[in-house]
This record gives sequence, structure tokens and C-alpha cells, in this order.
Amino acid sequence: MKSVPFEYRAPATLEETLALLGKPGANVVPLAGGQSLLPLLALRQVRPATVLDLNRVPGLAGVEITDEVVRIGALTRLRALVESAPLRAALPVLPETAAQVANRQIRHRSTLGGSLCHADPTAQLPAVAVALEARLWLRSARAERSVLAQDFFAGARTTARRRNELLVRVEFPRTPGRHCRFEAVTRRGRAGFPLIGLCLAVSLAGSVVTDARLAASGIADRPRRLWEAERALTGRRLDGDLAEVLDAASAEADPSSDLHGSAEYRSHLLRTVIRRAAARLATEGSAP
Amino acid sequence: MSRTDHAGPFIGRSMPRIHDPRLLVGHGRFVDDIDDSGALHAVVLRSPVPHGHIVAVDCAAALACGRALLVLGPDDLELLTDELPTAWRIPGQRARTVAVAARTVRYVGQPVGLVVASSRAEAEGLAELVRIDIEPLPAVLGLDAALAEGAPLLYPEDGTNVVGEIHFGDAPQELERVMASAAHVVERELTIQRVCHSPMEPRGLLAEWIPATRRLTVWSSTQSPHVVRQELATALRLRVDQVRVVAPDIGGSFGGKVTTYADEVMVCLAAVSLGRRVKWIEDRTENLTASYQGRGQRARARLALDGSGRFLALSAHITGDLGAFPIQAGTGPFQVTGLALEGPYRFERAGATVTAVHTNTVPTGAYRGYGMQEAAWIRERLIEEAARETGRDPLELRLLNLIQAEELPYTTRTGLGYDSGDYPAALRRAAALAEERARPSGDSVRRGVAVTPSVEITGFAPSALLEMFQIDWSGWESVRVRVSQDGTVTVFAGVIAIGQGIETTLAQIVADRLGVPIDWVAVELGDTDTAPYSDLTSQASRSLTLAGAALMQAADRMRERMFELAAYHLKAPREEVVLEGAEFRWPAGRTSLAWQEVTSRGWKGWGRSEPGRIRLEETADFDPPAITFSYSAHGAAVSVDLETGEIAVEDYWTVNDSGVLVNPLIAEGQIIGGVAQGLGIALTEEVVHDPVTGHSLTTGFTEYILPASADVPPVTVEHRSTPSAVIPGGFKGLGEGGVIPGPATVANAVAAAVPDIAECLTATPLSPARVWDALSATEAGRA
Repeated sequence: MKSVPFEYRAPATLEETLALLGKPGANVVPLAGGQSLLPLLALRQVRPATVLDLNRVPGLAGVEITDEVVRIGALTRLRALVESAPLRAALPVLPETAAQVANRQIRHRSTLGGSLCHADPTAQLPAVAVALEARLWLRSARAERSVLAQDFFAGARTTARRRNELLVRVEFPRTPGRHCRFEAVTRRGRAGFPLIGLCLAVSLAGSVVTDARLAASGIADRPRRLWEAERALTGRRLDGDLAEVLDAASAEADPSSDLHGSAEYRSHLLRTVIRRAAARLATEGSAP
Repeated sequence: MSRTDHAGPFIGRSMPRIHDPRLLVGHGRFVDDIDDSGALHAVVLRSPVPHGHIVAVDCAAALACGRALLVLGPDDLELLTDELPTAWRIPGQRARTVAVAARTVRYVGQPVGLVVASSRAEAEGLAELVRIDIEPLPAVLGLDAALAEGAPLLYPEDGTNVVGEIHFGDAPQELERVMASAAHVVERELTIQRVCHSPMEPRGLLAEWIPATRRLTVWSSTQSPHVVRQELATALRLRVDQVRVVAPDIGGSFGGKVTTYADEVMVCLAAVSLGRRVKWIEDRTENLTASYQGRGQRARARLALDGSGRFLALSAHITGDLGAFPIQAGTGPFQVTGLALEGPYRFERAGATVTAVHTNTVPTGAYRGYGMQEAAWIRERLIEEAARETGRDPLELRLLNLIQAEELPYTTRTGLGYDSGDYPAALRRAAALAEERARPSGDSVRRGVAVTPSVEITGFAPSALLEMFQIDWSGWESVRVRVSQDGTVTVFAGVIAIGQGIETTLAQIVADRLGVPIDWVAVELGDTDTAPYSDLTSQASRSLTLAGAALMQAADRMRERMFELAAYHLKAPREEVVLEGAEFRWPAGRTSLAWQEVTSRGWKGWGRSEPGRIRLEETADFDPPAITFSYSAHGAAVSVDLETGEIAVEDYWTVNDSGVLVNPLIAEGQIIGGVAQGLGIALTEEVVHDPVTGHSLTTGFTEYILPASADVPPVTVEHRSTPSAVIPGGFKGLGEGGVIPGPATVANAVAAAVPDIAECLTATPLSPARVWDALSATEAGRA
């Protein structure tokens, strides 16, 4: 398959990029790593007038760590997340999760911003962003604004990004003493698409949870916080009886059935990944 | 490339494939690599509905813009093409041909026309402008729907969706009699899903019609160039000598490229109509949704045992999903399932009825393992269940009933004549490996191992057998050896290279027999202008077995002629001439002559012993007296995650006997590749159609899940060698053996790991969701 004809632009500055993106009536799609967009173009499921290549724009990639936040440029490759030593120290769940996305070849091109903006409901990184209350910075030619991850995802492949906006960076708040894990079950072995993914973040006093964040992918049309499960987990031991937490999560999940498994199976998997993430946090702590 | 292994012997030597360096650095020459400057590009118009009458194909908008060079629809196709022939039919089957022009469409994706433009992108844009008006008809999706009372009919004139039926082996009433008196009978309904061949290179062709010479040349990604040549000539109403088909490098086939497809005829018709080169490369979506598929059958099967565990009878009713119409040999795999049902065991009685059924889905046909994987699935699941139900050790039960070495040759109840080997020895060895490799279970992960034996039809022939079954193919193979003036050697064969390494093994045989360095040898395959005729080419584990045998004969004759020539020029008695390091020497006369000098004089016609035999060429036709059978035992160690239903194959081993191995490295690669394919069938691969719309839901590799390299465990390959008595050289085939026992072995290992769900293991793929469904109904799964 070949895409519809389109104009290809590869500006060298952010200003020019935003200007092109903001042209009234323009049907523009930004191209980051291309791992989702190029197949969609070839299948003619995306039919843009202009493809706006971001790869020559300086300053969109990189990891910056302050006392308060981990700031990641939207064009940062997943490979760079996996291999960043400072990130491993500051927020190990991100490299841990990025390493589970697809395969090495895809991670070499695929970007954090691309993964978030593509907003596949089963994708791993959006669930992490939601669990950790990441803040997504969107910039247009005129203004910059930020949106919390949980407000960014609006449905399957739908986000709060306006057509004239570009996701430029993502900020993950740093919470000292918080431990995080990402746990998934995939359609196939190690390199498969996830059926269910879960990001669990907890603060502990001894082994009692004082604060919990849970967000899952594959349980609805977008990654979803499991608020009731968070409440149920708070005050409990990670290695204790989690039945109430699991029941709360099941009640909050609204998975659908498809050829890879029934809604019932996915609900069951959600309980499994919560138990697994809790068990791993209890015995191993955060990802190394 | 440096090569230090100049000297023979070459038969039996593990050496890398000759073509590997070229392919690995990206210098493959596949259809899409051929210079296409000036060529036009085609896009196939396909049916959007599973069943309906075409009312009109409206090309006006596509033609009006002036950028379409040609749009073909059913009217044009009906006017300009004839139907494609079939080769292997089932009794009762009415259709003897495959139409190129479709008035009634019977599956989503069925080709109905073609758009040709100056680029592929342009053609795809124009194709969107073509309106196909279809009056929809009720569709039949799946075997149950097809066989239901009052089901819509694909061919109302037949009065049924049943295509035809055949019975192999003992008569049904005899089987019933034995079943009724048996101490124990196991009965199961066992299903095998539809699968895609998923070659790395999809189909594709570049067609060139030269109006001046009225000759059509087609570079095609095909497994069967001569068959395609004849089919194209028929469909396009040309003489066979007007058509040349060339298969360049082929990126896999697995049975999916053995016949001409209607869309391929359309591309060639476009080239003929326009007098231009026209190119079409199938995309992955088309490959997964519109190329013919494999497997797709269900069997109601029974195994009867006496009180001591001896197999009294095996009986199966196999129902095959043939899809929209019978292709070249569409029912062949279903028929082979019945024919090969018994495998390597002794049954007092055995028989199978095979029923082929139409559904509104892509036609099915040949796929590596061709009915034998299906047969192994039915048989080995039944045996495992019989062991469980009667409290016997599955290995002991198998060993008790295996055909013993001293019983060979042995004729099965369906008439297959097994030639040679030691089936129990292979199974015992696999079982010994299983003992070494079994690992303990954990709390939420259970582990199990299983070993299963199998026997494989290889070197499918002879022609007389095909005649007996009235299959419209020849079974013989032909090879031509040419020694050129400069001493180099070229082998021309009718078999074809599809990634299996046959170029290398043929080069090894000829270098070995002639006594020349292997890098003097070239192997030419795949061009109907030069390749000897072959119908079945590299299907049915034939390449090395039959072409290798022919080559042994041709090369030995050539060697004798070379010695005679050398003796003449050395003025030596023939029997005193020796060949060493590509030099003929007569030790007693202290004279010598280089190989190249002998070939040079030979082509001048000097010193020939027979007046009419000058060219240094020898051709041998070989039609074997019988099928030769390989056999193997496979073992798998699996883990089952009780919480998620995920199965991991942690270890896999095979003990294989394919007679004399020309190149053990290539044999190992063939077996490992087959094992990987078997694991895909066992665990993840499945074509799924929406039961309402008839559209495929598995349109890409994110939905149609192939095993990735990380999913395939290390595979241990051990060989035994019982040379074939019917094949010169002692070769037996191994192209399919790797895939045959895998799904049954994996399922039986899962059954060993979690006996609670053994009874539910009746369908592949054993996807996590399906396994979890089974687990959740048991104690083990309620962890």
C-alpha cells in the first residue's frame, strides 16, 4: 500500500514547525519516530495534506532531571529512555516500561511523545504517564499550556492535543520514596502487543502503603486511573490480602472483547498484574 | 568469498549456503529488485463483501481523469481469459477450473479487476475511484454455518455446500464393528485453525509482452514456474512456447505460491493488452487476507484399544474448510490427512472419511506439512488422551503400538508403504532427552514434557501413483549437468530455490560426484527457458530426494565420460586413470592432463568414444519406484502460567531420520524453521473472520501473530540415518518434517503439565485466552 499524496515539510526550527501546524484549515500530521504513523499512512487510514517531520527540530529530545521533576523532550527515543543512566536512578519505571515496548529496532526510532500522542488504549507508556500524574506540555505558535496525562487521553487514538499544538515535553513529578513497577501480559511472549498493562506506584511506611497510584492500559478506550483500588490499597501491606483492591479494580475496569481475549479474561489479567506488581514491589522494590 | 574447502567429499559436509553472503548483505534479487524502469504498476480491485452478485464495475471516474492506463473488470476478463485448470480433485467435486473473471464473488478480497497506472501510488488512488456495485447474498462463515440445515448455498446448482467426499482405509462398517467390541474407545473433536503462509516476500510479478515477437515473459515469485507457465498459457489463450516464467530469488513460499492466482493472470493480461511491462507486488494486507490459506479443518475421531493397550482401530471423519472454490489441489491436504492418519503406528483397522466444504472465505490449499501435521494432531492427541483415560504411561503406550524396525517395509491400512527406519529408536532417544530436560513446576507455573513420533511422506511421486489417484501432475524430476569448455559445471534442475538451500546441496552432490571444486559449480533453477520440466518442483519434500537422485545419475554418467575422454588423451587404459585435485593422471604412464584441458578438447569433439555424443551434457530423468518416508520424534518442554494461560515452550528437541544428509547444517536449518512454524500453529497463528461481515480481523502481523525469534527456544536436532533404498544416493526428504509433530507435541506437553485441562486441548492455537478459559473451569486455574 502507498499513502495518499502529501506535502512533506521538515522545518529546522520550532517556530517554523508551529507556524506550519497552525496554518488555518491545514490537514497536517506531525511525524516523530514514524513507527505508528508510517503504517497508518501506507494503509491510507491517515490521509494528511502535509506530513510535518519533527526530526530536524532542535531541542525536542533529551532527559533533564531536577529535584522536582523528570523532564523528557517529546522527541526522545524509547532507546534513549532505556539507556539513560540518570533516568534509571531518578525514575526507573520509565526505562523499565520503555524496554517492554515492541522490539529494539522499533525503540530505536519510536519516541515518547509519539507514543503518548498515538494514544493506543493498550500502549504501555500512556498508562505510566497517567499513574505518575505526568504533565504534558503542548505548544502552539501563540501559547503554551499543560495538561495532566489523565486529561490528555480522550479515547482510543484521541487526545486533548489541538490540531495546531505540538507535544513538546513531558514532566514526571519526582516523589522521593515512591516505588514503581510496570507489569504487563502480552499477546505473545516478550515482543508482543500488551493485552493488559499496569503501572503501580506506592509510598511505604515500613511495608504499609501510605499512598498508591494505579493506572492500567487495555481495560478501557484509554489508560485509566483505578481510584477505588488506590483507596483500597492505602493503609494495607503490599504482601497482605489484596482481595478488596482487586475487586475494586475489577469494578473500575471496562475492557472489551476481541479476537485476543474476552472482557472477562482481561478483567482477570488486570487482577493478575496488580498482584504481580504488588508482589514484586514487596520483594524487590522499584525496578533496578 | 574465500573458500578453503576445495576438495571433496562434499556429500555429508556441513557448509554454509552458497547464496547466504549475497542475501545477507542485501543483494537478493527478488521480483521487486528487478529493474522496473518504464514499467506500469497494477492494483487489484477486490470484493468488499463475502458473497454477492456483481451488478456493475463502474470505472468511469477512474478513466475520466486520464491517469489510468487500463482498468479491467469482469466483462473484460470474461472476454479475454479462460479458466485456470485444477490438478487434484475430490470425488463429487464439480468444479474442474478456477475462473479468472468473477460474476459472483464468494470471499472478501476476491479479485474482480485491475487498475494500471504509472506508479503504484497513482494506481491505488485511482482504484479508490472505481465503484463496485454488488448485490449482497447471505454469506456462510465457518463449517457449522456451511453445513447447517437451510444454509445459504455458495453454488445453488449443487444443492449443498459439500464439495465432495472420499474414504480411505477400512470401510466405515468394519471400523464400527471393531469400535463396538473394544475395551476402550476415546473420542474427540479436534480442530486446526486456518493459517497464512506468511512468506517474508509476498507474491508479486513483473510481466512483459513484446508485441513484435508475441512473447510473454513473467518474473514471478512462484514455487512452480512450469505450472504457472502452463496455467498462464491456458488462461491467456497463448501457446506454451509464447510464455516464459522466471522465478528469481524467492523469499519463502510454504505452499502458498504453487499455482497461478486470478490476480496474477490479470497482471499478465494487462501487459499483453498494453504491450508494456506491468508490475504488481502483493502487499502484506493482501497476503494475509486474499492469498490462499492453509489448514482449516475439524475431525471427529476415535481410537479403540484392547484391554492390554493395543490399538484396535483409528477412525476419523475429517471436514475441511475449502473456502470459496477448489483451487489447483484445494482438497489435497484434507485428503492427505485421511491417507496419513495412522502415522508410525500399527492399527488392526484404520480409516478416514474426508468431506470438503465450501464457505465464503479465502480458498485453502497447500501449506507446509500438507495434511500430515493435521493427521499428527488428531492421532497424537487421541493417543495422549487414551493414555490418560486408561492410566497408562503415554510413552509406553506409544512404544507398545509403534511399527517395529523388523516390521518394515510395512503397508498401512490406507495403503502407504513405509520403507525403512527404526521408529521406536527415535522415540526412545527423544524420551531420553526428555528425562534430561524436564524441569520442576512452581506455584503458579506448571511444567510438562511430551514426546511424539511421526512419519513423513517425502519425495512425493511416482507418476504412476499420481495416475492411480487421477492427479493431473507428473511425479518425475529431471536434471541436466553441463561441463563447459572452461571446466566449470552447471546444474539445471526443475526444482526451485525457495529459501531451503537446494542450490547448495545440488552443488555439493555434483562437485562430489565429478570430483571438482565446489566453487566451479553453478546451479540454475527457476527459468522455464532453461529449467527441466517439473510439475511438483520443490513441493512435498521432493527437491533433494528426487532432483538429488536424478543428479546422482547424471553426474555419474558425466564422470564416466570425462574419464573416457581423459583416458583417450592420456593414451591410458580407462581403469588406470585417476582424478586428483582436478587433474587426470595416469600414474603408470607418468602423464597428466588438467580437468579444464579435457573439457576444452571434449567440446571440440576430439577423442569422443561415441560419434553422436559430443556436448558435455548429461540429462537424467528420475521417477522413483515408490514414496520414501522420513520419520522423527519431537520433544517439547513447556511451562503453563496458571494465572494468565500463557504457554512458553522452554525447550525443544528432535530426532530425525531423513536418510543420507548431503548437508547437515542445511538439514538442521530446515528442521528448526519447521519447528518454529509448528510453534506458530500450536500457540499463536490463526486467521479470524468477522462472523457477520466476513472480513478478516487478522490483517496485519499485530493481529496475526507469528512467533518471533525470542519466542522460539533453542532447538536440539539429532540425526539418525537409514539410507533410502528407493532413491539413488539414499536421500529422504525433510522439508516438512519439522512442522508436522509440533502442535501435537506442545499440546501434549501442556496436558502433562496441567492434566486437569488435557481434555479441553482440542483446538489450536493454544492462545493464552483459550488456555485460560480451560484453566478457569478447573481447580488449577482458580489459584
